[in-house]
This record gives sequence, structure tokens and C-alpha cells, in this order.
Amino acid sequence: MIGQFRAELLKIRSTRTTVGVVLGMIGIILLFSLLTGLLTKTPHLVSTGDQRNLLGVGDFAGVFSALAGIMAVTSEYRYGTIRPTFLFTPRRTRVLGAKVAAGLLAGAVFGVVGGGLGFGIGYACLAGRGIDFALDGRQIALLLFSTVAGAALWGAVGVGVGAIIRSQVGAIIGLLAWGFVAENLIFGFLPGLGRFGPVHAQDALVEFTTKHLLGPAPGGLVLVAWAAALSVLGTAVAIRRDVD
Amino acid sequence: MTLPGRSVADAHVVRAESLTKRFGGVVAVDDLSFELQQGTITGFLGPNGAGKTTTLRMLLGLATPTSGRAFLFGRPYAELAEPSRRVGAVLEATDFHPGRSGRDHLRMLAEAVDLPHSRVEEVLRLVELQEAARRRVKTYSLGMRQRLGLAAALLGDPELLILDEPANGLDPGGVRWLRDFLRAFAADQRTVLISSHVLAEVAQTVDVVLIINHGKLVTESSLEQLTHRTAGSVRVRTPASASLAEALSRAGIQFSAGENETVLVYGTTSEQVGDIAFAANVPIHELVSEGSSLEEVFLGLTEERAA
Repeated sequence: MIGQFRAELLKIRSTRTTVGVVLGMIGIILLFSLLTGLLTKTPHLVSTGDQRNLLGVGDFAGVFSALAGIMAVTSEYRYGTIRPTFLFTPRRTRVLGAKVAAGLLAGAVFGVVGGGLGFGIGYACLAGRGIDFALDGRQIALLLFSTVAGAALWGAVGVGVGAIIRSQVGAIIGLLAWGFVAENLIFGFLPGLGRFGPVHAQDALVEFTTKHLLGPAPGGLVLVAWAAALSVLGTAVAIRRDVD
Repeated sequence: MTLPGRSVADAHVVRAESLTKRFGGVVAVDDLSFELQQGTITGFLGPNGAGKTTTLRMLLGLATPTSGRAFLFGRPYAELAEPSRRVGAVLEATDFHPGRSGRDHLRMLAEAVDLPHSRVEEVLRLVELQEAARRRVKTYSLGMRQRLGLAAALLGDPELLILDEPANGLDPGGVRWLRDFLRAFAADQRTVLISSHVLAEVAQTVDVVLIINHGKLVTESSLEQLTHRTAGSVRVRTPASASLAEALSRAGIQFSAGENETVLVYGTTSEQVGDIAFAANVPIHELVSEGSSLEEVFLGLTEERAA
């Protein structure tokens, strides 16, 4: 099992795909942190909640760790390495379990990088504009922890989605369409339902000030449930389906 | 290189029992049964679409049979304790991430089953890829990819090799290299199953041939027996085919009845057939020696079932 986990980490490290995803993440977080930090009017950057919204832009890491999770599964199907992978480890539960674990770890690393970057830029913007810092140490620690934990869980979500959909393009489009369109529509019309979606659970986890969100702890639990359910479903699908 | 604890007691390295695979209404593999003996090289032959790859996928646990069972060393593949140390397989020559180096491809597989990095270097040497090991696979020629696939199959030092169309895209030098390699592999009491849609490609390598068409087993014989069918096949046209058949049977010569009063006689010469017919008082209207090639025999076997 440890060997399988190491193998999955090596797969993630040994292509340039991961580097590309990390660079994309850094670019997006840089852009949004700077735009929010420089263009938001001062009165909207004073309260604890407003500052948390700025300093938490690094939670975008979740999108990218989900992409990395999707890649970890779908590139195996796309390039056929799933065949040698399953020949070496015919117990597919073990392969998928190792992928989920690797997705969690890779996602956590994304969270550290993205969360740290978002926090650093946000802090620099506040300091540069002479705005008093409103978060205490505990709140900062919680924000960074929830960003890292959220990004880790999104890595597992990505593995699950990739295993269910298998097509790389299909899984990526599916993820983005759900995250940026479908779930927002559901949340807009039926907030009582939409807040249980994974994206809004993530927003709740990092305590964004959007109305109707769950509390941070329930939000975190809902996100854990999504990651667990999709991982289990993805594994079940991978076990049942023939490999071409 | 041989790992300890290897069982040689299993008489059948591979055993397929009534394997059947349906895709919707299409029967890809139809009640297929065969066994492989240890130390043999078996050619698994049939035209494209005959069900060869589907059969191999079922043997290797990548696809679940609709019915029937497959055993390797007495167990379903997925239940082997350390499958990569018993079975090495290459199903596609292109199963690599193009952006990953050859060495990393082997390492990620070795890691998964706790094989040491030194083993990766050994198989790289074995397939003569150590120079290119650092390069990304997209820079490899097809022949190099074939060898990298083989290197992956050999990582666990297996007792059985299963290769799907391994000669595809190899230049003549590569084909000879592969043939010599497989011969040496089998000489060590190991077993090989290679598929091909071209008999000539494997004729110099294999001991036994399994020919399938439309998912069914058409012929299972030694290459020697198959070769006999090519030597001196004689076509006879006679109005007294029954008398000729009787005379040939008495002489212990194989034959089969063809259309339009013809009889096909195997493993003999036109002179001998003429003499037998003369002695049996059988009138002959036509006597043709047909030295068909191995490939023609193969095509005949796969086409006659196609109807």
C-alpha cells in the first residue's frame, strides 16, 4: 500500500502537467488577490469578514487540486498507463485508494502554496494601503488551516470525478461547469439546497461572508462527505468497468 | 535472476474455460477454451477483430468475462499473490505518458510492487534502452516504445509473458531481436503467449498455434502439424471420389473432400496420389500439386469459418 502510494506520487511528479497546474494556480491567485486587494474600496476592507474574503482568495487552490486529482486518474486512461497500472496491481481498490491519498496530499501542498500566496498578497495590500489588520492569530490559523484542508479534500474530489467520468476533457468541463455554473444557479434559486454543494461547503469552511452558507464546521463536514462519497463511487466504478 | 518460491507444479500455466465476452449483441469471444503448457511459446493467431485482445484482457483481469473463467497458475489473475512476479504482459505498444521519461515509467510501476530501482536499471539494460532512459517517451521510436513496454513486463522477472501483437511496427532487426529474446526466455522453462494477425510474423518463433476467428477456436496444433498441411497438398478431381477416399484411408493418408468432385490430399506428393489412384482403379481427371504457404493455410483456416 505504501509502495502504491509512492508510485502515485511519482506519477504526479514525473510529468510537467503538475507544474502547469501549479503555475496556473499561482497566476489566478496572484490576479484575484491583487485585483481584490487593490481595487476594493477601503470601507469594504475593514471588517474581519471583508478581510477574510480578501486573505482567503488562496482557496482557489481547491479548483486546481481538483484538476490535479482529475489528471491523476484520467491521464492514465487517456494514455493507456491504466493497463500496466492494473496489471501490476489488479486490486483496483488499492490503486484508487492510493490515488485518493496522493490526491489529498497533493491538494494539501496546493493549499499551502495557494493559501500562503493569497494570504501574503492580501496582507501586503492591506499593509500597503495602511488598513488596520482585523484578524487575530486564531482566525489566521483557522483560515490557513481551512484553505489547506479544503484544497486537500478537493484533490480527493478530483480523483473521484476523474474515475467516474474517465474522459479528461469531459471531467474537467464537468468540474468547471458544476463549480462555476450549476452549483451557483442552485445556490441562487435554492440556497437551502445549494449550500450543501461542495463549492459552497468550501466557502463555508473558510468562513466567507456570503449569506445562507453553513457554518465552518458543518461546511467542512459536508466537503468531507463529498470527497468521501465521490472517492467511493469512483472506486466502485473503476472496479466494475472493463479496461479497454 | 530467478526468484525463490516459484511453483513448477502447475501443469497448465494458462487455462481458459469457456471464455465468452459479449458487447451488447456482439459476441467478441465465444466459448473459448484452451490451455498453455509450461515452457512453450504459443502463437495466438487470428485476423483483426477475431477476439484476440479481448481474450487477453480477460486472462489478465482487465475485462470481466460474460461467462467462463480464466486461470493463470491455477488462479484468476487478480487473485495471484504477486502478479507482476509471475506474469508480464504488454497489451498496447503505446501505454506511456508521452511526457514521462522511460525510466520514470518503469520506476512508478516498480514502486507499486516494491521492486528495487536496481531492477529498473537491469531491465533497461536488457532491452538496450539505458541510453534513452532519461528522455521523455514522446521522443521514442515505435521500436523503442515496444522495448520499453517489454521492459515493464519483465520488471518482476515473470514466468509467463503475454504480448499482444509485439511485432507491430518493428523493423526486421527488431523482429529478430524479439525472436531471439523470446526463445531464450522460453528455454528457461518459461512460457510465452504472443498474439498476431500475421502467421508469418511468429512462425519462426512459436511451438504451438491457437487460431481463432469470430471469437471461436478454429485450430489448436503444433506448428509442426500446421506445417505438414502445407507440404505437398494435392488436389485431385475424380468422378470416383469415394473409391479414392477409401484407397487413401487404407494408405493412411490424410485428405478432405472438396467441391466439384475434388479431393484434397495432405502430406504427400502428386506421384504417390497418382500411383494409389492407379492401383485402386480410380479414374483421374485432374491432379494438381498445391504447395500452399503457411500463410495460405492460415487464411484458409480463418476464412472457411467466416461464412
